[in-house]
Amino acid sequence: MHRSIADSTREYARGIAGGLLFSLPLLYTMEMWFAGLTARPARLIGYVLVTYVLLLGYNRYAGLREDASFAEVAIDSVEEMGLGLVIAAVVLWLCGRLTGEMTNAEIVNQIVVEAMTVAIGVSVGTAQLGGEGQTESGERNDEDKPRDDNDGAEQQSPKDEVSFSGQLVIAMCGAVLFAANVAPTEEILVIAIESSPLKLLGLSILSLVFGALILTYSEFRGADKFVRVSGARFVLMNAFITYAVALLASALILWFFGRFDGESLEICVAQTVVLGVAGAFGASAGRLLLQAGNAQ
Amino acid sequence: MSEVKKNILEWIVFAVSLVLVMGVIGYLSYDAATLGNRPPDIQVLLGVSESRTQGFAIPVTVRNTGEETAEGVRVEVELKLDGADAETGELEFPFVPRGGQREGFVAFKHDPNTGRLETRVLGYE
Repeated sequence: MHRSIADSTREYARGIAGGLLFSLPLLYTMEMWFAGLTARPARLIGYVLVTYVLLLGYNRYAGLREDASFAEVAIDSVEEMGLGLVIAAVVLWLCGRLTGEMTNAEIVNQIVVEAMTVAIGVSVGTAQLGGEGQTESGERNDEDKPRDDNDGAEQQSPKDEVSFSGQLVIAMCGAVLFAANVAPTEEILVIAIESSPLKLLGLSILSLVFGALILTYSEFRGADKFVRVSGARFVLMNAFITYAVALLASALILWFFGRFDGESLEICVAQTVVLGVAGAFGASAGRLLLQAGNAQ
Repeated sequence: MSEVKKNILEWIVFAVSLVLVMGVIGYLSYDAATLGNRPPDIQVLLGVSESRTQGFAIPVTVRNTGEETAEGVRVEVELKLDGADAETGELEFPFVPRGGQREGFVAFKHDPNTGRLETRVLGYE
């Protein structure tokens, strides 16, 4: 059965709103434009592919349609990427970033650099900005509130808990979305260079504590549903896993923005730790917020 | 694999998106395949001097024929005059991408047509 045109229009509108909501800071960031000017095409292809994999993962585990087949998830991910490209191109053009004196490579690169975070924003927006009675998502959790599904064709496939790999994917998406907002800025490098090792260790501990706090004590909706709180050991393990994901995401983004080029190992690690704070915040918040959105 | 349920609008969005994404990947692949590692190669071209309310201005075009983007390109244009001190104008371009060019002006007090102009690229990253 088809969704009505009005339904899908609403869904795209949500996606576009989400894309702008999450990535406008980046569209307005000079370093992002410059990253587009200096980026090498091979690295950009890698960026596009990694983003596509993240979109696949996000749509699979947190997307609107829990019962979606792989084909549907793949198609949705392409659509989100397409929307991201269009949104990035329109905003960049309106901001006067795409001018006639630029070469094709410059224009394409700039749009691609921006479009990938917009695409993740579109994906998150589509799934999370749903209003009451407009979501068509299948049952995901044991929940007390009944939800009206306006599309009877959606099969109900109850799942008590998002699988561990699903949590990792969503944590990764959260980390990328948050960390990408500050990663291209000069500030990360400045903090990394000027901070003493002890302070970096402090940042590291702060990230871990953040993660543990958010995952356990906070009042985020649905937190208890996704993270079974069973003792300090479990909390600690989860905080470390979240932080590991955050560090991985941070390192990837920094590498992509060329922040590792020609830097010593110490500075690379320091930058990763500095960005890891944002990443850890995004990863743990992502694990809860993004999923809690589905649990409402 | 269950059948994909989509209405006409969704198919259109998908088709357009697919073309865009494939186009981008195709373009980037082509670019990656044809791109070498030649360092930035900066050329400075001067236009015809124009009279301004105060002094004169000469259009400067900086072109990068290398295969890497040049950052912080600084260009110096010197106006050598007979019987007077030489005037220098300096100009900086934050980015001159590979295969791309940027335009600007350098200003002089004297008419550049009365002297000789020399250009020099001071440096870039």
